[in-house]
Amino acid sequence: MSKGGQSRTRLLLVILIVTSLFLVTLDLRGVQLLDNLKQGTQNVVSPFQRIANSVLSPIKGFFSDASLLGRSGSQIEKLERENASLKSELLERADADVQLQQLKGILDLAGTAGYKIVNAKVISQGSYQSFAQTVTIGSGSNAGIAQNMTVLSEYGIAGIVKEVYPNSALIQLASDPAFRIGVRIVNSQQIGFLSGRGERSAVLQLLDNSTDINEGDVLMSRGSIANRPFVPGVPVGYITTVDNSAGTIAQSATVRYYTDFSKLSVLAVVVGGPKSDPGDALVPRKPQPIPTPTVTVFVTPTPTPNN
Amino acid sequence: MSTRLISISSLVFLGIFLVQESLISQFRLPGGGFSILIIFALSWAIMSEREVAAVIGFSAGLLMDLSQSSSGPFGQWTLIMLLASYGISYLGYGDDNFFGGAIGVVLSIVLANFLIELLFLISGPLLGVSIGSFGQIFTILLGTSIWTLFITPIALPLFAKLHKSIFQTGTLA
Repeated sequence: MSKGGQSRTRLLLVILIVTSLFLVTLDLRGVQLLDNLKQGTQNVVSPFQRIANSVLSPIKGFFSDASLLGRSGSQIEKLERENASLKSELLERADADVQLQQLKGILDLAGTAGYKIVNAKVISQGSYQSFAQTVTIGSGSNAGIAQNMTVLSEYGIAGIVKEVYPNSALIQLASDPAFRIGVRIVNSQQIGFLSGRGERSAVLQLLDNSTDINEGDVLMSRGSIANRPFVPGVPVGYITTVDNSAGTIAQSATVRYYTDFSKLSVLAVVVGGPKSDPGDALVPRKPQPIPTPTVTVFVTPTPTPNN
Repeated sequence: MSTRLISISSLVFLGIFLVQESLISQFRLPGGGFSILIIFALSWAIMSEREVAAVIGFSAGLLMDLSQSSSGPFGQWTLIMLLASYGISYLGYGDDNFFGGAIGVVLSIVLANFLIELLFLISGPLLGVSIGSFGQIFTILLGTSIWTLFITPIALPLFAKLHKSIFQTGTLA
């Protein structure tokens, strides 16, 4: 490369680096223009996401099965085609069943607590490249959804509405590292806050160091002013391990969320909070052990005939 | 770059961005999945002159920042992608390139992808981005590298042909 070419490349590189840093500065200062740009992009992308979701929904788990189909022969091919078609139908049905089950769970949860909700399908998963945990739902401000509303799954808290667009919304999952929620322990009424860690477990830090916490203790959301971002009384998770290391300022524990974030297909956004705090009404029941039936067989020996 | 080249390249970038945002984002892949936009940008950057590679990285980063699931401040991905694309072009373009051969190119893209994630991870906390637990970070770094290693050899011939048909200077086709 000539000297002139080299200096031109360097100049271009410097200009682009300065532009990038300028964009970072603008964003950190909260300039509205960049938000509008993102919103415009999402408005363009969301119809494509919706189409892709409805097309790919039945085949999301089909790839492993489809890889087995590869033998030749007209009869086999015909049977395989029929089989694949039936499988596809079955998967569609199974997909619909899962969504129905999740929706039923959400409606039960919301009905018991008196939450007013808007249900929505998950139309896209967030990218992991930014180490964030997000999903996009197919309803937005047109359905009454606004920023900082609580989002529920069938088992409890799923996240909050981070960004809202006319026909879609970005949900920050409770597993996101930036997620924080105020919680209380059901039995002791201890309060603390829970922080996401990028996975299904989270870290609980209690405000008071004097009370004991135990494995299996259930956590519920404490609620926020005007029910935003959190409505009170939503099941969050349960304590799996307690950190009793000496010298810690606040007592901490590891918590497992009730919600399985890898299987979200339907979510509900709480657009209206309860008139009164539902308290512990939504505490999940502990699974009852199913008694194993014992079969007792009485054998009566046949009397031996006397000869 | 002529206006025609810029227009066609922009359309291709937008197409890849749409594929990433609407199709690939439908699947919750184990280990964090992959970014076809990163693979594409790095593939094109390695086949281009430094000047063009810088513009490619800048454009790809800008699109990644526009993605709704991007968690950092706007411009963070732009800066990282710009530096990565320029760097990979610096090492990989020309007859005396550092990588030598298609396998070298694939491995360099995987390595660059890993370094990009690492750079995001390092710069994230400085810009107020929360990162997850060590286990989760490790899983994503390893997972995305494995996915990139798996996807790049499949996608590279297509990207190389596309590059050649637009720029007429493909080096890997």
